[in-house]
Amino acid sequence: MPRLSPALLLGAVLLGIVLLAAAVPDWLAPYDPLAFDFTALSAAPSAIHPFGTDQFGRDILSRTIHAARIDLQIALFCMVFPLLIGGLIGLLVGWYGGWIDAVFGRLVDLVVTFPFLVLVIFFVAVLGPGLVNVYIAVACVGWVPYAKLMRAEVLVQRQSDYVAAGRVLGYAMPRILLRHILPNACRPVLVYAVTDMALAILLGSSLGYLGLGAQPPTAEWGVLIADGKNFFTTAPWISLFPGVAIVLAGIGFSLTGDGLADFLAVKK
Amino acid sequence: MPRLGWLLGRLLQIVPTFLLIGIAVFVLARLLPGDAVSAMLGDRASDETINRLTAQLGLNRSLGAQLLAFLSAAVQGDFGASLSRHVPVLRLVAEALPVTLSLVAIATVLALAIALPLAFIAALNANRWPDIAIRAVFQVGLSSPVFYIGLILLTVFAGWLGWFPVGGYGETFGEHLYHLFLPGLTLSLSFAAVVMRNLRAAVLAVLTAEYVDFARAKGLARSVVLLRHVLRNALIATVTLVGLHVGALLGGAVITETVFAVPGVGRLMIDSIFARDYPVIQALTLVLAVLVSLAFLVTDFVQMWLDPRVGR
Amino acid sequence: MTASLTSTRRGLFGLAAGFAALSLADTAHAAAKRGGKLIYGRYADSLFLDPVLNDANVDIWVINSVYDTLLLPTADGLGVQEGLASKWAFSDGGKTLTLTVRPGVKFSDGSALKITDVKWSLDRARDPKAGAWNDMIASIDAVEVAGPDSIVLKLKTPDPTILAALATFNTGIMSQALFEATPGATPDDKAKAFAEKPVGTGPFMLVEWKRNQVMRLARNPHYWRMAEDGKPLPYVDELEFQIIPDDNTRILKLKAGELHGSEFIPLARVKELQADANLRMELWPSTKVTYLSMMVKPTLADGKPNPLSNQKVRQALNYAVNKDAVIAITTLGLGKPMRSFMSSTTPLFDGPAPLYPYDLAKAKALLAEAGFSGGFEVSCMTVAGNQDNLNNLTTVQQMWAAIGVKLKIEQMDNPSLTKKYRAEDFQMRTAAWTNDISDPGQITSYFAYGPNIHALHSGWDDKRLNEVFLASQQETDPAKRRVQYQEIQKIYADAATIVPLYETPYTVAWRKNVSGFVQIPLGNNYFVGAAIG
Repeated sequence: MPRLSPALLLGAVLLGIVLLAAAVPDWLAPYDPLAFDFTALSAAPSAIHPFGTDQFGRDILSRTIHAARIDLQIALFCMVFPLLIGGLIGLLVGWYGGWIDAVFGRLVDLVVTFPFLVLVIFFVAVLGPGLVNVYIAVACVGWVPYAKLMRAEVLVQRQSDYVAAGRVLGYAMPRILLRHILPNACRPVLVYAVTDMALAILLGSSLGYLGLGAQPPTAEWGVLIADGKNFFTTAPWISLFPGVAIVLAGIGFSLTGDGLADFLAVKK
Repeated sequence: MPRLGWLLGRLLQIVPTFLLIGIAVFVLARLLPGDAVSAMLGDRASDETINRLTAQLGLNRSLGAQLLAFLSAAVQGDFGASLSRHVPVLRLVAEALPVTLSLVAIATVLALAIALPLAFIAALNANRWPDIAIRAVFQVGLSSPVFYIGLILLTVFAGWLGWFPVGGYGETFGEHLYHLFLPGLTLSLSFAAVVMRNLRAAVLAVLTAEYVDFARAKGLARSVVLLRHVLRNALIATVTLVGLHVGALLGGAVITETVFAVPGVGRLMIDSIFARDYPVIQALTLVLAVLVSLAFLVTDFVQMWLDPRVGR
Repeated sequence: MTASLTSTRRGLFGLAAGFAALSLADTAHAAAKRGGKLIYGRYADSLFLDPVLNDANVDIWVINSVYDTLLLPTADGLGVQEGLASKWAFSDGGKTLTLTVRPGVKFSDGSALKITDVKWSLDRARDPKAGAWNDMIASIDAVEVAGPDSIVLKLKTPDPTILAALATFNTGIMSQALFEATPGATPDDKAKAFAEKPVGTGPFMLVEWKRNQVMRLARNPHYWRMAEDGKPLPYVDELEFQIIPDDNTRILKLKAGELHGSEFIPLARVKELQADANLRMELWPSTKVTYLSMMVKPTLADGKPNPLSNQKVRQALNYAVNKDAVIAITTLGLGKPMRSFMSSTTPLFDGPAPLYPYDLAKAKALLAEAGFSGGFEVSCMTVAGNQDNLNNLTTVQQMWAAIGVKLKIEQMDNPSLTKKYRAEDFQMRTAAWTNDISDPGQITSYFAYGPNIHALHSGWDDKRLNEVFLASQQETDPAKRRVQYQEIQKIYADAATIVPLYETPYTVAWRKNVSGFVQIPLGNNYFVGAAIG
């Protein structure tokens, strides 16, 4: 009997808030995130500006809300492309095995011996800063865990009775894969994908902090924190609130992922 | 001895991987748009100066010729000189590597010191308030970006309270530990969260396993049961984690070194990528790959040694 | 009218007496305490401490601590004063310069400075195959030793910039014997080895260098210059540079008392440090100018037509930028508007009025005259992560939106940007410039003179300006040269090939108990007169 733990509920609520901010920022945000306001430069949090303003007078609350869309987009794309690429590769490698599996093993060794962040920075440096290039970089490097997961699942499912039955009955490989193996393999992959999105936000914001991610004047949580780092002692709210947003979004994804794992009875 | 055979086999497997990595990095580095020489000389240098320096550094030869030169030199242990700093690459790496290794080591020790006891407390109090509180705190740590935590720790504990030095590395061994405490703590938090979660699950699983009941039925005290059976399994799980996370720790070290001005390989790598300092990029990448491979190797070996059930 | 060719230290530059007499070590009060270790925070490590072969400010700005030049800059950076040379005179219509080197100078290892070392160093500096700076002394035809303490430079043509050139870093005097004794197969190998343990006649000597971490210098016991109290300079015993790239971390260290001083304080933090009772914020006039450079060729590299090729369009874009607002936003009031393409601290600067004051109506009118009243799109490249550039571009982006011009910001890393710049594959870029020599010739040759680098790789080429510039490079009469530069600056301003933004000072912060540091407008750091306590 799947359990809806309180953690899962909390995670879902947090995610819901983030999704709302990403979906309809203009409804929620009190100000235009790009508008300078020279009368309220670096203003502390108050009734008119609940999160304060930055050195240009831009409202931090509005910028944080608008940034949700960018960060959610980063989370999504940094998960989807690796998932699709890795999933496909893992499926094929797991099914066919043999020398394809050996090459796969080599390739995985290659990619895995690099610290992920260093490799991504490397790729972004080659391609140039900007979100699209971040997605390309992450896709090139991040497919590995999905491939491994999918391959492991396929290897297990291959041995199962219903697959053997399918083969005896003469079903073609794609049909067996799609109708039987894929649905079962989906569950652990899905759980991993949700937690991966939390990691993606951290990666995106780290790149934003280093100046390699989102570009101005677009608001992205990591960029917002970098904006405020020089004012940390005089106007800490500029960096503090976007950071809290990252943490809450991350918790949302993590708890949802964990809860999903419990719900789907998947091993973590 | 079978274990020695296994070890040799693994080491042999690694060599072609390194070769591939070396070639891959070499080619990739040269794909970086914008070349090393104009990056070094800045936007004012004349074309002749740039051409002259390019020829001097051998960067105008074909890719194949350069690759060959690089490989034949590398095999003899010569990784050339840094293009921007004019000193041997290995010296730069040798100066920076111990710093990062110390940082990662301190982060690992701190992570284990934090996670181990708390994991046991959490597991022994499963789903009661100590457990929930601990898991909540670690959840926050896991979800916080490294640079954010670093910024806060640096400003509060070093800047305002003055309990720790503001970044840097120090001179003596003692000073190194003192300077690396805050960055080590920053780096350790997300790893501690992962260790804590896995350890807690492992302890919980063991606690409910049959053989524990059996042992207790034999009359052994709870603590003895815990120590003997649980600890051993927990250790295996943790060692595996450490090995697997070396890559993530090295990645996190890049950001941490930036915030805390720690002169390690992370900073060196970033600076070299932006300066298109190919020899340094190549050497550092190989070194990092070697480190991670060794970590995997050691992990597998320790795992095999600790847990007789894990065969090969 | 007497040609001021028989020059005293002030002759060629005609400066007010007070400034010229100010030496680089006088700013410390006479009762300066001696001793101690001065710890200074730098944002980046030096790369290569060779006077001739180095490339970057991170080397140029500190190399004067180890090497001396024949002449030293005055503290305001505009003139020259005695260095290793105690007297100098022109003759032969300005084509011969005779310098007298002071006796008894020793290198930091105790060996004596020989006149042949001076000749060798100057010959090395002017070798066209060595380094990127030899053209600053390209006018030298031959260097001759005329006695045990006398050196003669024979110039190809009279050169108004030669005295400034002899105070510039690449003419630092090295020991020929020590250099040649350094192990190394080629001169370049020797240079690399020597640069790791450089030996010069400067106030300090390098004792330890852990790359990316710390550089330690100790006082040169044989230094020739005396302080006001009659004892040799420098005041401090040791100088330590700590490398801390993160601005915030550097400032935290300064506030915590772990550093005595720090360079490159972000403009946004200046007011905060000015309010700190333990610190003293120093704003040194600089030659730094920040601007947006424009491509003026009729088509861009990808073949598309370039609206910026129309002078009226460029002028319109200039009028549409409220430079006072940009100064207020990015520099928080610490910058000042540019009145010429060169900084106001450059000799022969002429700036009767701020360039293109904000006038939205005029901007719209000019744009309409040029046929672009519908606006257009323009892209500007900038180095990723540079907050000031981003602030400038974001502000300009908003201002240009008011005249229908859409500015697209392209961030990339420095090597990529440099490559596109040199290939002339850009439409606009953010840029800043500091002079390397205290003479307007250098900046003019890069910004305005077509044949050198196509006027900042923009494709602009003005025949009249080129003529005047070439003449000015041989004009030794300061009054005539001044008139030439007035014309040059006027032509350039009218052409509007850049959007000049602001001049900013160098921002250095010190703990209250440290005094005597000097930074000249060229950027060189002088620690020779610094004292703690």
